[in-house]
Amino acid sequence: MVNKESQTVRQFLMGLSIALAGAGLILSTILISRGGEWVKTGLRFITEAGAGLSLTWKLDGLTVFFLIVLLLGQGLSSLYALGYLKEYQEKNKSLWPFLVNWFLFLGSMFGVLLADDGFTFLLTWEMMSLFSFFLVLYEHEDPANRKSAYIYFVMTHVATVLLTTVTLYLYALTGSFSFEIWAGAVPSLSTVQLNFIFLAFFIGFGTKAGFVPFHIWLPYAHSAAPSPVSALMSGVMVKVALYLFIRLVWLTMGPGPVWWGWLFLIIGALSALVGILSASVQSDLKKLLAFSTIENVGILSMALGSAFLARTWNNVWAMDLAFVAFFWHTIQHMLFKSLLFMGAGNIIQATHTRNLERLGGLLKRMPKTGLGALIGIIGITALPPLGGFWGELTLFQSLLMNTSHLANGWSKVFLPLSIGILALVGGLSMATFVKWFGIAFLGQARSPVAEKAEEAHPIQYITPLIIGGIAILSVLLPTATLALIDLPLSVLRPGNSAMMLSALGTPLNLSSIYLILLILLTAIVFLLTKRSFHRVTATWNCGQPLTSSMQYTAGGLTNPIRVLFTKVLGSRRNVKGDFAETRYSLRSLTYEGKIKEVFEDIFYRPTIRGLLWMSSQIRKLQAGSIHLYLGYLLVTVVVVLILGR
Amino acid sequence: MDELFMILTRLLMGIGHLAVILVAAPLLQGFIKKSKAFWQMRQGPPILQPYRDLRKLMNKEEMISEHASWIFLLTPCVVLASTLMAGLVIPGAWGWAPVNVWGDLFIFGASLGLARLFLTLSGLEGAGTFGGMGTSRELFMGLLTEPALLLGLIVLAFMTETTSLQGIITGLQGVSPLFIPRILVLSALAMVSIAEMGRIPMDNPDTHLELTMIHEGMLLEYSGPSLALLNFAEQVKQFLLLLLLAQIIWPSGLISVSDGLFGTLWALGFVGIKVAALGFFFATVESLFVKRRLFRAPHYLATGTASAILALVTLWIIRGQI
Repeated sequence: MVNKESQTVRQFLMGLSIALAGAGLILSTILISRGGEWVKTGLRFITEAGAGLSLTWKLDGLTVFFLIVLLLGQGLSSLYALGYLKEYQEKNKSLWPFLVNWFLFLGSMFGVLLADDGFTFLLTWEMMSLFSFFLVLYEHEDPANRKSAYIYFVMTHVATVLLTTVTLYLYALTGSFSFEIWAGAVPSLSTVQLNFIFLAFFIGFGTKAGFVPFHIWLPYAHSAAPSPVSALMSGVMVKVALYLFIRLVWLTMGPGPVWWGWLFLIIGALSALVGILSASVQSDLKKLLAFSTIENVGILSMALGSAFLARTWNNVWAMDLAFVAFFWHTIQHMLFKSLLFMGAGNIIQATHTRNLERLGGLLKRMPKTGLGALIGIIGITALPPLGGFWGELTLFQSLLMNTSHLANGWSKVFLPLSIGILALVGGLSMATFVKWFGIAFLGQARSPVAEKAEEAHPIQYITPLIIGGIAILSVLLPTATLALIDLPLSVLRPGNSAMMLSALGTPLNLSSIYLILLILLTAIVFLLTKRSFHRVTATWNCGQPLTSSMQYTAGGLTNPIRVLFTKVLGSRRNVKGDFAETRYSLRSLTYEGKIKEVFEDIFYRPTIRGLLWMSSQIRKLQAGSIHLYLGYLLVTVVVVLILGR
Repeated sequence: MDELFMILTRLLMGIGHLAVILVAAPLLQGFIKKSKAFWQMRQGPPILQPYRDLRKLMNKEEMISEHASWIFLLTPCVVLASTLMAGLVIPGAWGWAPVNVWGDLFIFGASLGLARLFLTLSGLEGAGTFGGMGTSRELFMGLLTEPALLLGLIVLAFMTETTSLQGIITGLQGVSPLFIPRILVLSALAMVSIAEMGRIPMDNPDTHLELTMIHEGMLLEYSGPSLALLNFAEQVKQFLLLLLLAQIIWPSGLISVSDGLFGTLWALGFVGIKVAALGFFFATVESLFVKRRLFRAPHYLATGTASAILALVTLWIIRGQI
């Protein structure tokens, strides 16, 4: 039975969300096309909050870029949610907690992007964490989801502790919350102070962005949330954290020493590698995507690192390239990751399982979802002709420029090595996504649920296809994408960026030519081979009947990777055979594979154990014995007497 | 008018570039087979056999697994097309590549990557074990070869201070052939090429034994024209890799108008000789070694990556920059 009232509410509110996103996009297009100084200097708004406090907001090119990313993400996810939420409504689950938090979450992200002082930033940042936490908790009936939300809650508060501390510290130093005054005070700070502030920001934002080793919450939270929320969290929220790196570290904390750049680069490479390695051995549809988000955040962080290094080495060209790579990849990752999460959402609603081992053959049953997902995996594995590749090409070039600019030193070896790591990451991500797509969509169904799957609601497959269309357009019209990237660039770099963009146009304009040529060549090859007659037959299986269990499993497909990286992944396997009389007649076989979260083991468990130990030591003070308390009183009186003498 | 003329010339030259690759690729395959037969003291198939095989397959009926979808049918076209796209950045006989902008060395590896993506997906289409086996192993090999390939090319880019393959090949003319980083890069790229071509000790192109096959495993469900296209694409890829290696060992300079028709033809013949010699070399290597276990592949390819890194380090040491 469908609840009529909640249907209207759902349609009205999601429609409102889409309309707001559309209006915002149109408004920002008008604002941008009119141009003006505000892109560089920023427009300021002040809201009086009472009690002598005011919230200040600023809109400049950097903010506008991220606002457009956010609005695009909002519009597309809302459109998708319009179809996706139908299932909850059919289950008679109240939609109010979802809808209210959806708007508040989006609103708080707007706030973070617009905030121009420490107080406003902290307020909106906390709101963003809180409302996304509620959204993760939406399917609270499942205890696993409650655990995921709990881990997210704890981790995000560790970050907040640091951010609050550093905000108050800066307030104490400068007597103001304004970012501008902070930036002005930076030159007078000592190195230790500056580094402390930087590290606090790094861990604070890094936790939200999902940098390794602060990433452990991300795979849980992003996969436990309903799919439209996952799309928004992975596509947009991690970018908001990265935005803050630019706003507060790049623009406010100034150039900084060389090791800041190296830290971004090394942590980025580590995140990319650890993220994609963990993704490659996952067989949970959404967890795999969440781990891949960590990988992409790592790549973005490497671009930031390259920009920081170029800045300290006065290498303007490499810095520009790094930023173009950063912003280009930001757009592309938002598009593709949202697309893939929506595809995963469709599969989950059709089969009610997230386990890849139970899927298979879905392309025939859900052809449109499959088409969207195929575009998604080509984009996310950074292969031409789609956008992921062109961003990485720019990043490679930036790292190369940084290397050849240096006169001497071991950096000339380490920088190119990071390209080698990116190449390995590329190979791993291909394995990961061939597995994700191939196991779910190709071959035979591995379970009855996959056999009975049906295509999702039209809105739910049209939205991913729209995203695929936008992604293709962004490659077909690279100049338009570059014009968008020019907005934040004009804030971040001195001078005119038009020259740079035209120089950059050479390879990036190739993206459209590449796409057209590839399609043309494929079409020519297709037309030249007259493949008019084909016969449909069974798959060759040495004359034996083919069952679905003969296919490679998700675990089996990437098993070589698992074996090669046993130490890194902490993988263990346990195979038990039940034999009849001889070793050669097997009755049954149980296989159990386990992947340890290495960072949970070497980083978090000792920390938690230490905290628990400390608490138990402190508890000894409260032994419950009256003599002890009398002793405390005595000591207190003595101390007070001595002090008050 | 002049601009239109320029574009048309470029287009024609590009088509010519691709045509040479398309025609020469099966010939190279025939030559390598003949060379292997030489070491095995056999007569071997005639050099032109690959052309005949392709024609025969093109006219055959195609059988498609009942589990396969449209991706299965699309794959042969995309694989051949993207392999040709990879060919656009490699300078041919006349030292000219149709695509020569900065950063194009990354396009080479990435285009081959796109072909690999579709091929590995198609391996899973048949829903059988063999296809999955091929896919799983190919993905594994792919992730191991990529770092070595990219790092090797990057060292060449540092050596010649350009990131366009055409520029690299032209620049290498001024570098001594015995320059140690160049030799190390060559050994890295040669190792990668063996793996990418699917040859012993990484893969065996001649067997269909489930224990050994990688590339053939993915193709097992293909027949008729589709198989012809995929085999052809593999031959093109092999030709491109050998062409790249040949150009790195002994680069052909950019041809100019003053060379005349004779010079043009001579350049073509010269490249033919270089590639054939390399083909003979790899046939010899294949005759001398045995195939390795899959889990030995990491050691082999790590050696390739290591020599690329060593090339980088020695380059900076020789230049006195470390």
